[in-house]
Amino acid sequence: MSSNVETQEKPKKRFIKEGTFGIYTGFFMLGSLIVAGAIIPRISKYGADDLAAIPLAPPSRANFFGTDVLGRDVFVRVFDAVFIDLGTAIIGVSIPLIVGTIIGTLLGISQSKRINAVVGSLIDGINAFPFLIFVIALIAFIGPGVGSIVLAISLVNWARYARIARTRAVVVNKQGYIEAARTLGYSKKRILFKHIIPNVSSETRAYALSDFIIVIIAVAALSFLGLGIKPPQAEWGGMIRDGKDLLTVGFWWPTVFPGLALCWAGIAVAFISEGLTRRMREVGTR
Amino acid sequence: MTDSQQTAAAQDAQMVVEKDRNRAALRKTFYGRILRSVIVGFWVMVIAFSLMRLSPGDPVRLALGADVTEEAVDAFRTQLGLDKPFYIQFWDYFTGIFRGDLGYSYFSGRDVTEIIGTHLPVTLMIIGLSILFAALISLPLALFVATSKSNTVNYMFRALTSVSLAIPGFFLALLGLLVFGVYFNIAPAAGYEGAFPGNLKYLWLPALANCGSLVPVLSRVLHSSLVDTLDEEFVETGVIRGVRKGRFYWSYLLRPSLAPTVVLLSYMVGVMIGGTVIMETIFSLPGIGRELITAVDGRDYPVVQSIAMIFGLIVVFFSFIGDLTGYLLDRRVTLS
Repeated sequence: MSSNVETQEKPKKRFIKEGTFGIYTGFFMLGSLIVAGAIIPRISKYGADDLAAIPLAPPSRANFFGTDVLGRDVFVRVFDAVFIDLGTAIIGVSIPLIVGTIIGTLLGISQSKRINAVVGSLIDGINAFPFLIFVIALIAFIGPGVGSIVLAISLVNWARYARIARTRAVVVNKQGYIEAARTLGYSKKRILFKHIIPNVSSETRAYALSDFIIVIIAVAALSFLGLGIKPPQAEWGGMIRDGKDLLTVGFWWPTVFPGLALCWAGIAVAFISEGLTRRMREVGTR
Repeated sequence: MTDSQQTAAAQDAQMVVEKDRNRAALRKTFYGRILRSVIVGFWVMVIAFSLMRLSPGDPVRLALGADVTEEAVDAFRTQLGLDKPFYIQFWDYFTGIFRGDLGYSYFSGRDVTEIIGTHLPVTLMIIGLSILFAALISLPLALFVATSKSNTVNYMFRALTSVSLAIPGFFLALLGLLVFGVYFNIAPAAGYEGAFPGNLKYLWLPALANCGSLVPVLSRVLHSSLVDTLDEEFVETGVIRGVRKGRFYWSYLLRPSLAPTVVLLSYMVGVMIGGTVIMETIFSLPGIGRELITAVDGRDYPVVQSIAMIFGLIVVFFSFIGDLTGYLLDRRVTLS
């Protein structure tokens, strides 16, 4: 135990801020994916839906990731899917983030006990459903497609943000600077949007980053289950679905490469999220 | 009575009062939790019921398809009780839940309660196995990292857990299938046998892939509470007293650190359920998740609605149990 104490007391000499490595790695990974997604489908010889070679040709110099069961180039399709996958996830995170933060904040600062009890337990009720199950059930009723994925995810996920925002808003609302703003006679609207929401949303935005990983996996999972983005649009989850039955007979490339792309995107955001958390913690302890 | 006797008596009285207060607090926590769970459970039923009303089209018409006569649609609607006013429908549905009557499948005509009764055990077994695997991996891992003084180990642990959170379960399952099913040929890709020890052959890989989302979360929380516990004075006392290794690890380190992990585990049941649905689809296991996907494909609304509700209630139940277990494991948490 004694050696442990010694190492703790030694002043740490750091020239690079905590978490910097994670943030830069994450942004580099995400940026390279976006750049590749913008360039590769344009400059490639084959389109995403074109017949590039014989079906299920293994990875080669002509087709880096091989071809799928319809003879389409997996390399082009993986990068053609970047924008639809990332885009759906970004919208699917942003809408609940905004809606949930506003509703949660209003709930946190509202004086009415009745509204708090009713809406609060409604939020708990929505949060009680397993995320993926609720989204699948909603899609059963509103039908598959990009729009319904975003709608279903928003309808489920706002409650998670609202719960975080509400807890935070109760704390923020009691802070001295809010009291000061009230004493200065600022309008309620100004206090809400300029003073309370920015302080509440720092928390929900931090959650949004880790939620992004859950949502991008959920979007792919829905397509994987056949409930999401419709073929022939190239999409990672859908490509994995198309390839999964061939996996056991030895054709691994139509499945593994889109899966790796999905992991790459998720890991990039995980690095950014981890780095930012560490940096925030360091600022907090200073 | 001497002074010392007096103080002793006072201390005894104090202890009795404390004990009573503790018991009262326990009771209060218990009843409060039950009330909360009942309210949330009620909302779960209401939400599941309103799902049907979210549909943009007429669910009955959608379910029957395009080319049916008006009479057939009306007859079907009457048969399902959908022609009655909203509140009566809700009352029927609500009381039906307690009578064990969840309606009938639109297509097979099977009792939904029966569908759930047949397929739920498989799903619960996969979840149980996943939690067991997750515990078997997370406990030693967190204990090793927390007691290790190496910076590299700590850094690797943080990096690996945050990376593995971003790997989707269904991709992990397919990779597992590729490695264990095709290359080593020790896991069947599909098929299922009902009896308990025999079905483990089919369930171990899905459960292992499913716990991939659980291990990083669990081990992280356990690790951070272990680090907190290590700072406590009683741990040093344990070291000085030379407590046996097994007892030291369990009573001095793990038990005081487990409460947050147990609570978190109960909250993760929802995530596990979502993962299980995917695993059942990949490995063609006859669980309730595969029924759900089939029902969604066929627009079999009563089945979708009931399965969603059952899963919601399961989550409510487990968070209740988890909160209570966490409280009993470490009473400092909620009493203060």
